[in-house]
Amino acid sequence: MLKDVTFGQYYPGKSLLHRTDPRIKLLILIEYLVFVLIASTELAMAATLLFTVFLVSVSGVRFGILIKSVKPLLFVLIFTAIINLFFTSGEGDPLFAWKFIKIYENGIRNAVFMLLRLVSLVLGTSVIVSFTTSPLQLTDAIESLLGPLKRIKVPVHEFAMMMSIALRFIPTLIEETNKIISAQKARCADFESGNVINRLKALIPILIPLFVSAVRRAEELADAMECRCYHGGEGRTKLKVMKAKAGDYIFLLVVTLVTVAIFFLDRITWSEAIGFCRDIFSK
Amino acid sequence: MANALEVKGVSVIYGEGTPFRKAALNNISTVFPQGEITGIIGHTGSGKSTLASLLNGLAKPTEGEILLFGESIWAKPKEMKKIRSRVGLVFQYPEYQLFDETVESDIAFGPKNLGLDEIEIKKRIRLAADFCGLSDKELKKSPFELSGGQKRRAAIAGVLAMRPEVLVLDEPAAGLDPKGREEILQGLTEYKKEFGATLLIISHSMEDIAKYADRILVMKEGEIFMQGGVEEIFMQAEKLFDANLDLPQITKLFIELKKRSICQSTDVYTVGYAKKEIEKALSR
Amino acid sequence: MSFIEARGIGFAYSPEEEKVINGIDLKIEKGSYVAILGHNGCGKSTLAKLLCGILLPTEGQILVDGLDTADDSLAFDIRKKCGMVFQNPDNQLVASIVEEDIAFAPENLGLPREEIRARVDAALKTVGMEEYADHATYKLSGGQKQRIAIAGILAMSPECIVFDEATAMLDPSGRKEIVAAMKRLNKEIGITVITITHYMNEAVEADRIIVMSGGEIIGDGRPEEIFSEVERLQSASLAVPQVTELLYLLEQDGHDLPRGILHAMDAADVLETYIGGHKNG
Repeated sequence: MLKDVTFGQYYPGKSLLHRTDPRIKLLILIEYLVFVLIASTELAMAATLLFTVFLVSVSGVRFGILIKSVKPLLFVLIFTAIINLFFTSGEGDPLFAWKFIKIYENGIRNAVFMLLRLVSLVLGTSVIVSFTTSPLQLTDAIESLLGPLKRIKVPVHEFAMMMSIALRFIPTLIEETNKIISAQKARCADFESGNVINRLKALIPILIPLFVSAVRRAEELADAMECRCYHGGEGRTKLKVMKAKAGDYIFLLVVTLVTVAIFFLDRITWSEAIGFCRDIFSK
Repeated sequence: MANALEVKGVSVIYGEGTPFRKAALNNISTVFPQGEITGIIGHTGSGKSTLASLLNGLAKPTEGEILLFGESIWAKPKEMKKIRSRVGLVFQYPEYQLFDETVESDIAFGPKNLGLDEIEIKKRIRLAADFCGLSDKELKKSPFELSGGQKRRAAIAGVLAMRPEVLVLDEPAAGLDPKGREEILQGLTEYKKEFGATLLIISHSMEDIAKYADRILVMKEGEIFMQGGVEEIFMQAEKLFDANLDLPQITKLFIELKKRSICQSTDVYTVGYAKKEIEKALSR
Repeated sequence: MSFIEARGIGFAYSPEEEKVINGIDLKIEKGSYVAILGHNGCGKSTLAKLLCGILLPTEGQILVDGLDTADDSLAFDIRKKCGMVFQNPDNQLVASIVEEDIAFAPENLGLPREEIRARVDAALKTVGMEEYADHATYKLSGGQKQRIAIAGILAMSPECIVFDEATAMLDPSGRKEIVAAMKRLNKEIGITVITITHYMNEAVEADRIIVMSGGEIIGDGRPEEIFSEVERLQSASLAVPQVTELLYLLEQDGHDLPRGILHAMDAADVLETYIGGHKNG
């Protein structure tokens, strides 16, 4: 169950997206999120999908892994699609009606759009950031982008360090949780039956050992960090200095143009687009 | 003697039908006779721990069957709780499962889950504490105040309190000093004697296994590499050595002495036996 | 002057509690390979933490290369000189990627980028993990994780590394990897190695063994000397290597065999000569 979660996992590689400056990637991600969410016409959606396919293909992440990252969300995806399908009321006659269930043309459209949007969101976020950026690069990028806030005494370094350590310990704690669950099951613990209160109570033998162990880990880690001369962010240098290259800026520019293009595509309909093309060709 | 557990053609396969197909266990068959201690050894990833989690139904084999006194443990999946109380499983570093306010109530967790009455639970706690060498004072303490060795014993007591007929232990003595190892393994041996229980001890330490086990099962790459009585296995000590297993130092000495044709036996695994062999060589 | 010098140190976790370390005087020379041996709870891990300044003695004084660990202004210099590898491999890796983890200490030291790169590469090479530079740390085996932890300390260019039961949670092959690494660090790079353990077969690899019991030092000497006193070790809840015990038992029965033999090969030599001589004589 827990072992199928691929969120936040980094897959080492040397693809275009792996090489792109993580700060640029974060900015690209923001733009990407914007146009995925605004695309509401067929044209805009088609362009969005095309760009997502482009991102996936330059990420060098294996297809199987991508499928795995969408799989845990399958239920959410189907659920959202169904909600949209049945609960969108449209103008005119329903395409299908049986008792209280009515499906309108608009409903199908909304369901398909929502599905495509969610899949694009998951795939895009995965390939732009989580699969191609190591957690440390990511937190470095956040630290750097939020850097100006240090002047008004926001503890940006501490926040970034905490985040990177949290990411580092996610797999360890998932593994530990599974071990504790097995150990308590071997003592005949029952997590599956009874009412809500009983089920919550049944979690105590899992949560307490997990909490105790997390505290112990934190103490040991603090000692280990101190041993390695950690003394906060002051005077710290970096192995991987982020240096945005010309290519990175071009990439950002391209995505910005795509965003603008999609923004305009979203304003026009098919017939307008065809008319526009005809105008260009006739000139 | 009857067989407490029987493993019949068991395989555990991950990712069947994908390029990542991996057999953690490959068509394993063996028996664990009642009232005996079987030592299970092998490298990390040889399938020892996978086998352990099958024996009390925590995991289900892809193929094959596991019989507890002749009955498949998966015959009635709804009654798995009962199987788990009959086949106790102690994981590696079991102290990480301790959670309750006192050692006493932590040990009571298993018996309570079985729905036993107060008097019986009290009895069980007493019994488990005795075998694990925990004093009354320690029973009243919080499990988090105990020393490392005491925590380990408290955790094992938590499984013993269910009074299992079969007890599977994954590295019960890992990380303990010689005295701590001795105390735990001695207590387990006594439990076995008292209740005619069957013990399976998974360990990397050939020295401990040689000292306490009646039989040895050697696993290698998801298969059974060797199995038999302790002496029988150590007769082929060179084979174990070639499989890169960590032999007792004394056995290594006798393999070397055989090479130099000073002593002939290689099935030497305790210091006492070694001394007799040397004395024999001297009197020849 | 000795590299580490402990003068009459005592330690208790709080004033009400019993002392864990009780009046220890100790000198450790530069470039030596020392094993501190003792049963669980004898105070050996506490001693290790005192020696590299993670804990401060409640009595007495510890000097690391002449620097007093109690002096707060020197803490940084002491840590640079004396690193520590801990027991649990999972709880000392800071970053998710191998090379990022190893870079942690040199980054804290504020070294220039090129220097960090050079140190990371050198440290990876020393522990034989070059091809894992961009791997995720959590997917490694226990032994590999511990080797990364060692590399993380090595990147500080310390003069001394203290291993606090660094092999206790590993399987036999992982344990061998780490012992081999310790030997290499000491013999090839000249780093002072102090290893805390209760495994006899690891202690015998050292040049000097210090035996602890009840917060005190009860034995200090070369491995052969230490292990020739079988009763004393057994009274401190420690075992001796099996071949040592065998020769000791034979000697007690009046056989003329040397004490303090630690390795199977040496024991085979001794027994070959003795049995051969016995037959001829």
